Amino acid sequence: MQSRRVEIRFPGTHHGFAQGFARLLGALDAAGLEGASRYNAELVFEEIVDNIVSHGAVDGSELEVRVTLEVRPDSIILTFDDNGVPFDPRGIPDPEPPKSLEQARIGGFGVMLVRRAAHSLDYLRTAGGRNLLTVQVERAGATL
Amino acid sequence: MQLQLGDTVDGVLTVSLIGRLDTPGVDEIETPLTAHLAPRAARAMIDLSQVTFIGSGGIRMFITIARALGRRGGKLVLYSAQPLVAQVFDTTSLNTIVPVCADATAAAAAARG
Repeated sequence: MQSRRVEIRFPGTHHGFAQGFARLLGALDAAGLEGASRYNAELVFEEIVDNIVSHGAVDGSELEVRVTLEVRPDSIILTFDDNGVPFDPRGIPDPEPPKSLEQARIGGFGVMLVRRAAHSLDYLRTAGGRNLLTVQVERAGATL
Repeated sequence: MQLQLGDTVDGVLTVSLIGRLDTPGVDEIETPLTAHLAPRAARAMIDLSQVTFIGSGGIRMFITIARALGRRGGKLVLYSAQPLVAQVFDTTSLNTIVPVCADATAAAAAARG
């Protein structure tokens, strides 16, 4: 089985996010992906792109996001390339488990979910000032 | 994302969510859901059997609504989550602060308790 590769480009806005996500779902459908590995791929896209759109812009600059989806026989590789502020999710600690409803943090779960969904994360800040994040999601026996 | 309001039985409101609790889904549903539950300090059980996806935005929404209800003497209970959605509850430990029940019977008991 050959690998399939799809590139999805969109502006880093809420509207762009929705357009990009719809294209991702179409590409996952076309590749026949389902179950936990598909869920994990959707979750990684959701959390990473939401983070870029919500926190990536500098002084109102326009964000441009390029996502490459590569479906291999044993894994799904998602590469996120954006011109937002440097953001390396590998260095973000998991939030403490909440002790009570009143004390629970309401944020910080996105990166945690990406780490659980991914088999590996690689990050590079390029010389050209772009974030390049590569996330590998396992296909066989995937769990969250 | 759809919100279906069900009956109130023994003081417990039933709500069904249908669709994806991703960022656009949460944006769509959070305000009407909060507006329906919070002002009446509801004891509410939310049927998640037709929710196919949840991300961190959905977790944040449930914590926010559960806290708002708890402060007013109400309570939020979730039930019938699909396995992959339930795994997200487990990963984020949401299920340690908001009751997540297997079915409607258990959820009604938890909401009244």
